[in-house]
Amino acid sequence: MSPSSKLRLLLVNDTARPMQQLHDALTRAGYHVIAQAQGAAELLQLVEAQKPDVIIIDTESPSRDTLEQLAAMGQAAPHPVVMFAEQGGLPAIQAAVSAGVTAYVVDRIAAERLAPIIDMARVKFEEDAKLKKRLADMEQQLADRKLIERAKGLLMQRRQLSEAEAYALLRSQAMQSGLRLAELSRQLIDASKLLG
Amino acid sequence: MTDNADFSTSAPLPIRLGFVPLTDCAPLVAARKLGLDRAHGLDFQLQRQPSWAAVRDKLIAGQLDAAQALYGLVYGMQLGLSGPQCDMAILMTLNQNGQGISLAPPLAEQWRAGVGLAAIARRLGRPLVLAHTFPTGTHAMWLYYWLAAQGVHPFRDVKCVVIPPPQMSQAMQAGMLDGFCAGQPWHAVAERDGVAVPVADSSSIWLDHPEKVLTCRRDMARQRPLLAQRLIQVLLLACRWLDRLENRAQAAAWLAEDDYLAMPAALILRHWPNRAPQSGDLRFCDEGRVNFPYRSDGLWFLQQYRRWGMWQGEPGAEWVDPLNQTELYRAAAGLCGLPLPDSADRDGVLMDDMTGPTMFAAPHNAGANRGADALLQCINRRS
Repeated sequence: MSPSSKLRLLLVNDTARPMQQLHDALTRAGYHVIAQAQGAAELLQLVEAQKPDVIIIDTESPSRDTLEQLAAMGQAAPHPVVMFAEQGGLPAIQAAVSAGVTAYVVDRIAAERLAPIIDMARVKFEEDAKLKKRLADMEQQLADRKLIERAKGLLMQRRQLSEAEAYALLRSQAMQSGLRLAELSRQLIDASKLLG
Repeated sequence: MTDNADFSTSAPLPIRLGFVPLTDCAPLVAARKLGLDRAHGLDFQLQRQPSWAAVRDKLIAGQLDAAQALYGLVYGMQLGLSGPQCDMAILMTLNQNGQGISLAPPLAEQWRAGVGLAAIARRLGRPLVLAHTFPTGTHAMWLYYWLAAQGVHPFRDVKCVVIPPPQMSQAMQAGMLDGFCAGQPWHAVAERDGVAVPVADSSSIWLDHPEKVLTCRRDMARQRPLLAQRLIQVLLLACRWLDRLENRAQAAAWLAEDDYLAMPAALILRHWPNRAPQSGDLRFCDEGRVNFPYRSDGLWFLQQYRRWGMWQGEPGAEWVDPLNQTELYRAAAGLCGLPLPDSADRDGVLMDDMTGPTMFAAPHNAGANRGADALLQCINRRS
């Protein structure tokens, strides 16, 4: 389906999801993104004034109940895309749900026009989640390394070990007890505080 | 896996429980903080939810095992009125009362000076814009009932919208709203901000109405009855603890924490009367009288959906009884030493003596009250 028969899209941007990136991607793909709502009150005003065909919203957005009320009250208002496998059956929508994408659409929109939009949102959300996870992993690694360094230092000082020996001891203890090296280090540091 | 296998190891069984940041999520928080969950072989994982739609979807998708929910959210799911249909179970009522309606200060002033709501709306020269929290929820039903009982039609004379409670004060400030119906502490917040004045307690609409319930999917209650019963037990104990005035400050301090409401305890206490809870007050147990899943409570919601054209069915026990897990409740209450009511129905006192429902009945709903006759009699039956 050519995007030339332009659907009017509204994005709800009130969580940490990368709505601006999605906005840019949709615009590049030729979609008409009419606005981004920053909260429930603005969302209400925009839906009324601009009458979007599709609303893309983070599953975790606090503004979802605002859309639920519109859907319950008006025939012409945007309704949630049926989002569960047994009723929907559209793989793209299922993937979207697990990525945290929820779509509200006016009734007349066909699935094949909607799927690429939802897909694009899913991809953006997943990219963002991966990026955040990578950053979190890096922070974790850094924190782990600090813990291990401190534990190593403690062992070197208390047991008169070389750095290599202290590290080897930590590693063998970690393997024996089935703990991560960082976790064992944390326990060692905590215990040494108790011992003074 | 049999239900018993859930408890065959010594490790507490993790249970994912959804809640929405409101004063009346207190039973879940107290149960966790007091260790009542672990004392009964459960490990509550309390998961704060940003919307009732999220609670609904996660229950259906199995991402939550059970949740605190608006009474009407459960019926909306059961009837498929708002989103997909799903067979649901009500394990117990978690609290009565404690909600309210606030209006913008100039309107509240008129209302308090005795000007009728209909007159206030006329003077405004445009439809009132009032907010609640979810299309089939309790706040929607309290608001609609309150309006109708004063001769204001909630759909024709008013524009009713949903605003998330944490954004109510901001929306009032921006002049988007003339008032709202929601739980606490969101009235306290709007009042503190000087943008709204409470004009009605929800108990003045229906004295001792049910508010939040503990809900799970019906298949979970069926397949894991022991788990469901223990959930009820733990929350009954928490509810009983909450009703003791000496525990109030501790409860508010816990709710104030970042993981729950993330706001000052003083705000949470502002509309939580500093006395042992009486009829009309926010209360959680009242020796189990709050918690029993009454048939007549469910019928009331069905009747309201019918009244407002949201549902075309005939309200009757056959809709309500499969939801209410009365047997599980009885067993749990027995283990907690809480008495059971004599009847699955209870008397209620509504602000308009139930004259309202026929007032705005749509023509195709002319027979709406026929099916609800039993309910009317039950609710009107006053000794």
